[in-house]
Amino acid sequence: MRTRYILLLIAALALLPWLVGGRYVFHLATMITIMIPMALSMNLMLKIGQLSIAQPAFMGIGAYGSALLTIRLGFPPALAMLSGALIAGALAALVGPLFLRIKGVYFVLLTYAFGEIINLVFQEWTSLFGGNNGLYGIPKFSVPGLRLTQPQHYFVFGLLLSALVYWCMRRVERSDIGAIFQSLNEDEMLSRALGSNALSWRIGTFAASAFIAGLSGGLYAFYIGFLSPEAFGFMLSVDLIVINAIGGVGTVLGPVLGAIFIVPLPEILREAREYQLLIYGVCLVVFLIFFRQGLIAIVQRRKADA
Amino acid sequence: MPELLEVRGLTKRFGGLTAVSKVSFSVSDGEIFGIIGPNGAGKTTLFNVIAGHYRPTGGTVALGGHDISGHSSDEIARRGIARTFQAVHVFGTHTVRENLRRAEVLRLRNSPRAYFSSRKAAVEADRLGRVAGFVGLGDVLGLPAGGLAYGLQKMLGIGMAIMAAPRLLLMDEPAAGLNSSEKKEAGLLIRRLRDELGITILLVEHDMPLVMGTCDRILVVNRGEPLALGTPAQVKADASVIDAYLGEDYDFA
Repeated sequence: MRTRYILLLIAALALLPWLVGGRYVFHLATMITIMIPMALSMNLMLKIGQLSIAQPAFMGIGAYGSALLTIRLGFPPALAMLSGALIAGALAALVGPLFLRIKGVYFVLLTYAFGEIINLVFQEWTSLFGGNNGLYGIPKFSVPGLRLTQPQHYFVFGLLLSALVYWCMRRVERSDIGAIFQSLNEDEMLSRALGSNALSWRIGTFAASAFIAGLSGGLYAFYIGFLSPEAFGFMLSVDLIVINAIGGVGTVLGPVLGAIFIVPLPEILREAREYQLLIYGVCLVVFLIFFRQGLIAIVQRRKADA
Repeated sequence: MPELLEVRGLTKRFGGLTAVSKVSFSVSDGEIFGIIGPNGAGKTTLFNVIAGHYRPTGGTVALGGHDISGHSSDEIARRGIARTFQAVHVFGTHTVRENLRRAEVLRLRNSPRAYFSSRKAAVEADRLGRVAGFVGLGDVLGLPAGGLAYGLQKMLGIGMAIMAAPRLLLMDEPAAGLNSSEKKEAGLLIRRLRDELGITILLVEHDMPLVMGTCDRILVVNRGEPLALGTPAQVKADASVIDAYLGEDYDFA
């Protein structure tokens, strides 16, 4: 029930950019809606007990994929976006059987290396990806009869995508898949002895999380209109970890709150740019020590008291 | 007609240590088959190789004539071999009912493909109730599994294993940690699993009275090698078996 109030609060918050107005406010709001699916894609992996540092790489594949499919092959943007995400998902499904046999810190390192390799490909294959000079000339997103040109258009698009991903993940959490994930986390040996193919569940989850990251990348590409490899680097993973830790990893709503809180932070702290990482670090330490369950737990407790 | 379970020349080495060496035996349909041996004899390793937890170094395991050696534990489970654990393995924070339901869900919806290709696995409430009643948990379906007495948690483990209606049930020391009256009940339950549900049973056990009183045939292993194979009476009379246990405080009841 309380989740419903928080969702209402978020919906009210989503109207804020129209009240405040201005391109820049819409830009920030749109970036939040791009980061929400990203944070959720990392959260999905955390649900199976794996921290994946490869999510920005999958976002990049979705972004470059959408861009190149529209520019080079003339795909309609919607189809290009879906294809880009599917390519990201397919790549995850391809490397998954290898990666997901590995657990814990080794999996983190492996996905880190994988992310760096993908990023290097973006940087070095200049004829295709434009290298560090970037990839220009990405057309605006359009479907027949509708062309998204203004930041507020992309904000609405982002809201829809975030809501869709959130809704899907909530459904999954409440379904038997949620029970299966829980079982595999609690007692993998028992779950496997009962017949559960743990590896195939992990691969499926990895592919789904890459697909979500790919969609987010597609939206980013059409919104920004220009791609450069550093947007999909290690720093994005750090942001996603901070968002998940501060928002709370235990629920689907946690990362959503985390993204709403963290994404605008660099802008609010603009005056203190050199202290930004420091403030990140302090926030993270405070949350990990005092608010293990994240923002979501704080909000829910307040509601319970009221 | 092939035997239900055929183990041929099974060997498992860990580095230089040979834990199981060329063990062969077969279990017929409807049999209760026991494996005993002194501590460190390789019983548990043998069990874990059959259950797919370890890959054999050599030899084969066949179920109903199909080679299953080297298959993963979940693959083996899906082929109709269920298992119970020596220690308690249940989903402790969930109710007994949810534990039994999960056993069904984990088996039927074992992979994303199985999940999306089959209709929702409707766990028949009466079957769940029957299994709970069979293992003596009919009255505690709504209680959290972790709060049950140790003996009851082990019964739940058996209940979860038989939800799958397995052809063969592997039991790893079913009597471990139970008191003497619970041990007697466990022995009776094992017989009822075979007599009433038709499940063939392979068990590894320390408790001599339970093994001698329950099993149709017994394999004795020592230092990873088969020592004797026969009925309880034959095994008890075997000189090499008595020799292997000499000095150990075993009571052949």
